[in-house]
Amino acid sequence: MEFRDYYQILGVSKTADADEIKKAFRKLARKYHPDVSKEPDAAARMTELNEANTVLSDPEKRAAYDRLAAGGQGHRAGQDFRPPPDWNAGNEYSGDGMSADEAARFSDFFSSMFGGAAGGPGGNAGGRAGGRRTRGAGEQQMRGEDHHAKVVIDLADAYTGATRAINLRAARLDDSGHVVTDERTLNVNIPKGLKEGQHIRLAGQGSAGFGGGPSGDLFLEISFAADPRYRIDGRDVTAIMPLAPWEAALGATIEMPTPSGNVQVKVPPDSQAGRKLRLKGRGIPGETPGDLYLEISVVLPPADTEAARAVYETMAREMPFNPRVAANTAKGA
Amino acid sequence: MNANNDSIISGVLIDETTLTIVELANACSVEYTWVVQHVEDGQLERTDGAVNAAISRADAAEWRFASAALIRARRLANIERTFDANAEVAALVVDLLEEVAILKQQRFAQRRQ
Repeated sequence: MEFRDYYQILGVSKTADADEIKKAFRKLARKYHPDVSKEPDAAARMTELNEANTVLSDPEKRAAYDRLAAGGQGHRAGQDFRPPPDWNAGNEYSGDGMSADEAARFSDFFSSMFGGAAGGPGGNAGGRAGGRRTRGAGEQQMRGEDHHAKVVIDLADAYTGATRAINLRAARLDDSGHVVTDERTLNVNIPKGLKEGQHIRLAGQGSAGFGGGPSGDLFLEISFAADPRYRIDGRDVTAIMPLAPWEAALGATIEMPTPSGNVQVKVPPDSQAGRKLRLKGRGIPGETPGDLYLEISVVLPPADTEAARAVYETMAREMPFNPRVAANTAKGA
Repeated sequence: MNANNDSIISGVLIDETTLTIVELANACSVEYTWVVQHVEDGQLERTDGAVNAAISRADAAEWRFASAALIRARRLANIERTFDANAEVAALVVDLLEEVAILKQQRFAQRRQ
């Protein structure tokens, strides 16, 4: 495993006081917060910052880390590292210790340092919901923590349902109290009719409980893959429907691809660009299915041949039409 | 723990069923009272059909929450924890994040046209 230089991660000196560490963490947390950061590795950096802050903002953990880092010939970030046996003997952490699950979200380095020792399964001073137990209450039953994951689906999946393989990383304590990380794959049924931001709850797929307590749940948050063809608002879907000028002007019956397959659409005559046709109930399915809106976009064929140019010239001659005047008249109406 | 599970599992769709206050607190790793306080302060909305009714702590066990509340509650808790932010500031930040998300969607839709 690689040694982690928490001071370097937060950009502070080894003599930084608690206030400096707090300021450095907040500054970087703002920069890398996944909700606002444009950095491609924001989520990973945020986890790294949380890990460094968890250690350096806790005087007991920081002291233990400093002792460890000062041992041997000193350690550098990224250097291969093995903690000496029983290095943690005698260290006692209090307060907001890490659960095995929290430790697992951080690096292997952190997990091996603090994951098992910092209060074991649970380890918090109680009170917080979500898979905690009070230190020393060894036989107390406790529900495992809930887990969260995001699942990106295509809009078509919301129409038909799908199955997705979800890779999960979770931690548990082995018989000797050390954190071990398990990776597993769940094949999850994605039901049809899902909306953006909706959750699927998989009961019992979170962390294992303690003392015979029930396992936590796994929450999957659904988001749709960006698709330039569609705009989604709840269960309503809007698609651009490109039309040739004669289809828009004269009306036509056309075949239009939609998320649920091709449909025949009757376009009324004099259909202007921007006008929407509503196909009731053809949005995302559900108890009250959404509607599919087809927004007309008139696409001009290029005047790149003699024949095409002649057609445009005929139109210009035969049709006294000024779109600026038409637009003003429409506005004034 | 098993490395792979070939069977297909199905879950419960939140919104068709909603979350109780305890389930929401568990899902966000916060205390029950944290949720109560944020509902009372108007930072989290219930979907139990009594949204406009007077909020009473005594009825908290009856409160129900939908997916949107889960996303919002996790964001609020995360901002409060990360920045030691008070609840009002965290709510303002989350309001702005939600507004930004809407504007981004609108911009994406406009670019596509």
